Amino acid sequence: MRQKLASVTGAVCLLAMATASYADGQAVFEAKECVACHYTEGPAQEKTIEDQQAKLGPELWYAGDKFQAEWLTAWLTDPQPIRPLKFNSLTEDNPADHPALSADEAASVGEFLMGLTSGEVEAGTVKVKKNAKGRQIFTKKMPCSGCHEYAGRKGNVSGGRSGPSLVDAGVRLNPDWILAYLQKPEFFKPVKMMPVFVGLLSDKDMANVAAHVANFKPKK
Amino acid sequence: MKYVTTLAAVTGLTALLNAVPAAAADTEMVYQFYCAQCHGSTGKGDGPNVTKDFPVSPRNFTDAAEMNKLSNADVKNVILDGGPSVSKSPMMPPWGKTLTEEEVDGLVQYLRVICACEGKQG
Repeated sequence: MRQKLASVTGAVCLLAMATASYADGQAVFEAKECVACHYTEGPAQEKTIEDQQAKLGPELWYAGDKFQAEWLTAWLTDPQPIRPLKFNSLTEDNPADHPALSADEAASVGEFLMGLTSGEVEAGTVKVKKNAKGRQIFTKKMPCSGCHEYAGRKGNVSGGRSGPSLVDAGVRLNPDWILAYLQKPEFFKPVKMMPVFVGLLSDKDMANVAAHVANFKPKK
Repeated sequence: MKYVTTLAAVTGLTALLNAVPAAAADTEMVYQFYCAQCHGSTGKGDGPNVTKDFPVSPRNFTDAAEMNKLSNADVKNVILDGGPSVSKSPMMPPWGKTLTEEEVDGLVQYLRVICACEGKQG
């Protein structure tokens, strides 16, 4: 009985810690004025190109679906450009001026952001591994590489610059979210520079692309 | 009655005058948002995606001689179905699931303004 009570108490404590951390993270997020550039409540607010261009930074209302927690927390302490170009620009380079957080702040903001989920991403659908079909689509059939940087076999970076870099996609992005993003563009980001592939690629091929992209790891 | 008819005519004309530039402005925005990534903001085929690794040269819309080889229907088909639909590179993706028919028609007209050419007729 005592053991059971201790176990329940422990679970409650753990839950409280997690809740506190989420709340702390939200408080830091607001105090640091992250909300000036990022919105965190869904559904998607962009209905027109003008809406998209009025934004100062990416939407984060599905950050918990999109990112990998470990990467996110580390990135917040040392934010390096993800998109080679400045947000919403095709002419200016990314100024690499995203504010950095302390390790404690990053940990709590990471908890907060990873708690932002849409309920539209099915876990465990993408098997991350070498995927020849996905590679063929990515580089040739529907060349994602035209707009996204990626690392070739020898580690050399190639690809276009208008989209976010995918060089480290395997440690940055949730593989299942990549698939969901391809399958449900209207839900996650109704207005974006990337073409809609629904009706052009089958679900299976989208999963192949997701598996290929999720296999991009930075060369050590 | 005459007053009402005149008022309706004036209102209609005003609406038309307002609508034409608005549509043109919308098309310019559509072009700059989707097409300029590869074709460049002035249509010279020099968008930011065209790095040294880019395997083909995106169409230069200011090249009237090249643009005159294509009819408006050809241009529309390429936008809708991508490069392979006219035996060109898949680096030009299909935009048919992204853009509305109206936006595509607007882009075809916009490209004719950029090239200052009418395209292949018939």
